[in-house]
Amino acid sequence: MNEPLITLDNLSIGYNGQPVLSGITVSISRASFTAILGANGSGKSTLLKTLLGLLPPLAGRINTYGPAGTPLVLGYVPQSVQFDPIYLLTGLEVALMGTFGRVRPGRFVPSVERSFTRECLQTVGAEEFARKRFAELSGGQKQRVLIARALATRPDVLMLDEPTAGVDPTATHAVLDFIWQVIKEREIAVLFVTHDFALVREHAQQVVWLHHGKVEHGAAEELLTPKRLAEILEIGAG
Amino acid sequence: METLRHILSPDFLLRNSVYTSVLVGFACPLVGVFLVVRRLVFMGVALPQISSTGVAIALSLPLWLGFRLTDHGSHSAHELAFVGSITFSLTAILILAFLERRGRGQPESRLGTAYVVAAALSILLLAKNPYGEIGWLDMLKGEVITVHSTDLAWTAIALAIVVATLGLFHKELLLVSFDREMAAILGKNVIFWDVLLYLLIGLTVSMAVLSVGPLIAFGFLLIPALMAHWFARNMRQFTVLASLIGGVAAFLGFWVAYRWDLPVGPTDVVLLGVLYGAAWVITKLLPGGSRAIHGT
Repeated sequence: MNEPLITLDNLSIGYNGQPVLSGITVSISRASFTAILGANGSGKSTLLKTLLGLLPPLAGRINTYGPAGTPLVLGYVPQSVQFDPIYLLTGLEVALMGTFGRVRPGRFVPSVERSFTRECLQTVGAEEFARKRFAELSGGQKQRVLIARALATRPDVLMLDEPTAGVDPTATHAVLDFIWQVIKEREIAVLFVTHDFALVREHAQQVVWLHHGKVEHGAAEELLTPKRLAEILEIGAG
Repeated sequence: METLRHILSPDFLLRNSVYTSVLVGFACPLVGVFLVVRRLVFMGVALPQISSTGVAIALSLPLWLGFRLTDHGSHSAHELAFVGSITFSLTAILILAFLERRGRGQPESRLGTAYVVAAALSILLLAKNPYGEIGWLDMLKGEVITVHSTDLAWTAIALAIVVATLGLFHKELLLVSFDREMAAILGKNVIFWDVLLYLLIGLTVSMAVLSVGPLIAFGFLLIPALMAHWFARNMRQFTVLASLIGGVAAFLGFWVAYRWDLPVGPTDVVLLGVLYGAAWVITKLLPGGSRAIHGT
């Protein structure tokens, strides 16, 4: 078992003091692929935003273990549909934003960071989108640029919010194969929010399943067996 | 051409008015770009008017408190006007931006009401004010005739601060505008950068309203940026093109107004409107058409 990067200890999450989910106790290891699975409104995005530090936890603890005691660097890949097309940004300009955490305010992005960002675009097969308008790219192309941006942060953990939403099946497989490649090459942990069972069964090692206010978690091959699925979904119970 | 030579001459009597118009023309679109991409166009219309109400209220204060301004009213009145303008601009932009962020109510109705009430109130207050007769009422109508060298210098300094700050922190301001969540995850203080941007917008609007009046201010805040958005391929081109359109249109507007003895403010804004229409036609003739989907 790899060393843990994040542990959630009896975590309670929600908005304005109102809990959406409680009692979440999960450990995320280095070089792992964890799927956060659940239907719409189950609390997937709330959990992700809490892990990203965008929402405070209502109770419990989030422990992070960065390399040599440094804070963990989180790479976030939001849903590509949330961006306003009015911004005249190229793929490269969007990807460069990943380096802004290391470049002090008032400084230009140095050439070494620009080169690194181009490498990230190349890694995800998005170098041809560098000079194209981000708003004019397809869903799958935008997703690649956003993954390159997250990689440009040099993350310890990559968190993806429904990265295959609005992406065709071929592009979906390409994105997920690529994520696996990144996990192997860079030994980072990946958290992947989705409601797609088939994708989770095929790609994830660990599953955190949010269902009717309860949290089930375990290895994908154990949690997604027909028997366990029937128990969780209460099919044929009683 | 004779008129043009006359205007460009260093001895031209109204040279300060030309310089001020052109300065405002170059600087206003730089903050206007952020109003456009943040979809705060209505705020760009309402803010200059609210700022001018600040001027009117500040100039009415001595009257209400029962004392007269010294130095024939001119300098003291200008200082009061600056305080009123900047106070109202900054307060209004911070409140309106906060309400916008909360996403409650209808922003159009809020901004529309603020605009029309502010416009009526400023005219009403200055009509009953002795300082209204010494040029302030004309200024609010957009008649840029006499600009003192001191006022020109202050405008230049304030706008230079705005331009330098925008240039220096462009990447932070753009990141916070484009993707607030990403900015927060990268450890940026989102509220600080938001407030800085609003302060820059407020300062620009105040200086523009004091120098050339609300009519030119909101004309140059929005129309050049909206036009530039049709033609630019990236944010840098967008910003530079908007500023260039503003600066050139300000000069051309002054030239036309001087040549045919028209008020500068309305001439500038009508000229911008004509350019906007021409630009729209060009986008229709260009391959690919306009970017109507982007809401501009």
